[in-house]
Amino acid sequence: VSTRPIPPGQLCWLAAGFAVWCSALVVLYAVHAIGCAFAWSAGPLRLALALVLLAHLAVIGWMWRSLNGASPGLDFGQTGVFLRTMFVWTVVAAFVTIILTLGPPLLLTVCM
Amino acid sequence: MNTPIEASPQGITALRLHRQLASIWATGPGWQRLAAVNHSVIGLRFMATAFVFFAIGGVLGMLTRVQLATPGAAFMDSETYNQIFTMHGSILLFLFAIPMVEGIAVYLTPKILGARDFAFPRLTAYGYWCYLSGGTILTGSLIAGVAPNSGWFMYTPLSSNVYTPGINADVWLLGVTFVEISALTLAVEIVVSILKMRAPGMSLDRMPIFGWYMLVTALMMVVAFPPLILASILLETERAFGLPFFDPTRGGDPLLWQHLFWLFGHPDVYIIFLPMAGLLSTMIPVLAHRTLIGYRAIVVAIIALAFVSFGIWVHHMFTVGIPYLALAFFSAATAIVAVPTAVQVFAWLATLAHGRPCWNAPMLYIFGFFFTFVIGGLTGVMLSVVPFDWQAHDTYFVVAHFHYVVGGAVAFPLLAAFYYWLPLLTGRTAVYQLSIPAFWLVFIGFNLTFFLMHLTGLLGMPRRVYTYTGHEGWIWLNLLSSVGGFIMTIGFGLVVIDLLAQLRYGRRVRRDPWQAATLEWAMPIPPAPYAFASIPAIDTRADRIAPGEIAPSLARGEGYLGCARNGWQETLGVHMTSGAPDQLIVLSRPTYLPLCTALATAAAVLAMLFHLYLLALAAALVVAGLFVLAGQSAGLSRDYGPMLVGHGVSVPPHTEVASSPPWWALIFALVANATLFTCLVFGTLYLWIAAPNWPPTETFAPNLSLAVVAVVALAAAAAAARLSLRALAAGGMTRGWIGLAMLGLLVAIAADAGLIGGVAPRPIEHALGATAAALLAYVALHAGIGLLFLISNLLRLGAGLISPRRSLDLRLTRLWLDYTVMTGAIALGLVLLLPALVAVLGARP
Repeated sequence: VSTRPIPPGQLCWLAAGFAVWCSALVVLYAVHAIGCAFAWSAGPLRLALALVLLAHLAVIGWMWRSLNGASPGLDFGQTGVFLRTMFVWTVVAAFVTIILTLGPPLLLTVCM
Repeated sequence: MNTPIEASPQGITALRLHRQLASIWATGPGWQRLAAVNHSVIGLRFMATAFVFFAIGGVLGMLTRVQLATPGAAFMDSETYNQIFTMHGSILLFLFAIPMVEGIAVYLTPKILGARDFAFPRLTAYGYWCYLSGGTILTGSLIAGVAPNSGWFMYTPLSSNVYTPGINADVWLLGVTFVEISALTLAVEIVVSILKMRAPGMSLDRMPIFGWYMLVTALMMVVAFPPLILASILLETERAFGLPFFDPTRGGDPLLWQHLFWLFGHPDVYIIFLPMAGLLSTMIPVLAHRTLIGYRAIVVAIIALAFVSFGIWVHHMFTVGIPYLALAFFSAATAIVAVPTAVQVFAWLATLAHGRPCWNAPMLYIFGFFFTFVIGGLTGVMLSVVPFDWQAHDTYFVVAHFHYVVGGAVAFPLLAAFYYWLPLLTGRTAVYQLSIPAFWLVFIGFNLTFFLMHLTGLLGMPRRVYTYTGHEGWIWLNLLSSVGGFIMTIGFGLVVIDLLAQLRYGRRVRRDPWQAATLEWAMPIPPAPYAFASIPAIDTRADRIAPGEIAPSLARGEGYLGCARNGWQETLGVHMTSGAPDQLIVLSRPTYLPLCTALATAAAVLAMLFHLYLLALAAALVVAGLFVLAGQSAGLSRDYGPMLVGHGVSVPPHTEVASSPPWWALIFALVANATLFTCLVFGTLYLWIAAPNWPPTETFAPNLSLAVVAVVALAAAAAAARLSLRALAAGGMTRGWIGLAMLGLLVAIAADAGLIGGVAPRPIEHALGATAAALLAYVALHAGIGLLFLISNLLRLGAGLISPRRSLDLRLTRLWLDYTVMTGAIALGLVLLLPALVAVLGARP
């Protein structure tokens, strides 16, 4: 039993990275649907989609920086080390997933 | 593994403790079995009932294969075929796969995590009775000839009352919703139990991998089931009252059903798969005599899988006309979901490769899993490619794919687990080697049946057709598929015979016959109702222990809680992350309340089915009353303070701590609720942007004053609830503040009713009115449930069950009312915003 327990709220970090991926997917899908419904021209719509994607990547970047200060580490014993590893790798996996699944589609024809 | 049973008990101390604990935890004989709440009893019932539904679903599948074995068969007509294949899918997914997962979770999870039971035994029992009732209604409809007939996914408009008059679709909508609500309650319970009820010292990094799998699965269930529950409610209100959520002629959209259904439907595949993967991850290291390789990678993989599985629901809708760019999001995500799945497969293969696996019955079935699941996974990647999907969509190729994925991912691991854990359930092991021929029959039959369906599909045979002419080139493929189906059925029949033979003639074995490394084997087999005579202390990874070594000391009461106290059913609550004991959880004793509540719930469902709405309302009120009544026998009637739990540790009872299981249960229930609410908001906005026949001809102008009154009254009720909590701590007028909160809720309900009455266009005329009414009804319903919370608070205050130290009830009420204010403000805000949104539609080209 670690002497200094990690607050349960910290477990949210396990979901944080992929929550950003979910948010990016839903917002991109919604903006795309609205843009096509209201016949936005291709340039502004693609730009809006790219900005949404970049905003989510920025959030992932912020999370990456924050992990140093906010997530548990050696102070919390083996449990802290374990959870920190999980936090880092879920954020890395989410980053890669965002790039691979949401980036290339933005090059396609927007509303066809 | 066939070593003889122990010659003598662990000693007089162990025997005395066993008798004391058994008298507290045991379920009574005869009719008292109906009052059972013990997780072992309920878990076994879940699994046995799921097996019965598996048999029924399997027979229905065989009937479809008889019909399709030859062209132009007259075995059944099209209407009967529609009912049979719809029920085949519905039963196997909703009444077999999900409940089986729940049964395994209920039976095994506490034992593997070192707890004596689940957090809410009465809720477990209620979930079981709801499942049984809902399943009985669905199956009974088949006998009555009014079974659902629109496919297991109930696509609109086919399932609307225009194209499916009668009660067939209603049976599905109400019956499945009934079962899903049961599943949701269990999901919340599983999450809370895993997070709060592990053995002391079992920090998250020491938790067996099975615990991670079940935790992630249950969290997925919490989020995945609400979209389907909402969709079913909306479709039922369309069928019963004419609210046109899915009717395109009145501003609805059939595709909204598909979005909501597949938001549930796709994660559901992983909800079924992940627990099976958890079983595999537990069995493979034991059978390979090596610890699991890649524990951390697997944890990351299943978290990734959980999220990505939600983001690929649209791959079921590639042919509905969505623009290419949006399709590409879901196509790429569908392909990438194979990565975390592959991480697990490679971890298992690496464990086997680095171990010394032996070819016994469970391993044989694990081989069957690898073979079928990898094929199913690869065809899934093929279907993620949009152009290929357009060719194969709605053909037998898809039927083959999902049978490989769902069948392979469930049937083979389940049978492996069945042979692995049967000694735990029965205390016996197989005498005859029927499991081996049974495996080969199932394996050959399965592949003969479903592999050929890939070819049938590629030759163009569409799904759901009840016959064919014979000129298409499908005759031999269909005949061989049918032959394969019968071979597979014979295999399953042998498994049943093997089970019966084992129960009757199996050799008795001592605990831990596999030399396993998890806690469920550190108890007598079959397990006593209290599971552990004393709860183990964990100081290493809990899937690397030696159950045989620690079991005798646990039986002597040398772990935690190694005594019987006050006739209480005691187990330990721990800190979520560290596993340090932080509370003594006193569980409910056997009671008929879960059965009675489930019967009242079934009465409400049946009354709705036959359009007896006043009766349904009355039954729903009885259910609410029974829930309030159940609250009167929960908790402790006085303050106890810290109590010794063993090893020199003292902790307070769960009624006197902040992070007790009910608190977390309400939080996760609200997560599920918020998911449903989000889906409702999504549905409103989706219809606004995508549905035909918008804007409506009539202008919508909600009453601003009433909306403000409703929000202010809700906020006042929430504030009064907070003040009641302060008053309790200060010895003030607690009841007065509760009364004020009730008044606030009543005012909010009245204002909300006024708003619903003023909705224009009327809810039955256009989807705009229907969605506005649905949002407002959501607010009124939550205010009404808030009233039940407050009534329960008053009753429990009167009964002395609430004190300044035992303030959980008031904190739960505060949380509920805070949620109600937040969602109420959003819902009412959206209703007020709708006229502006409708006006914006004028800018569309």
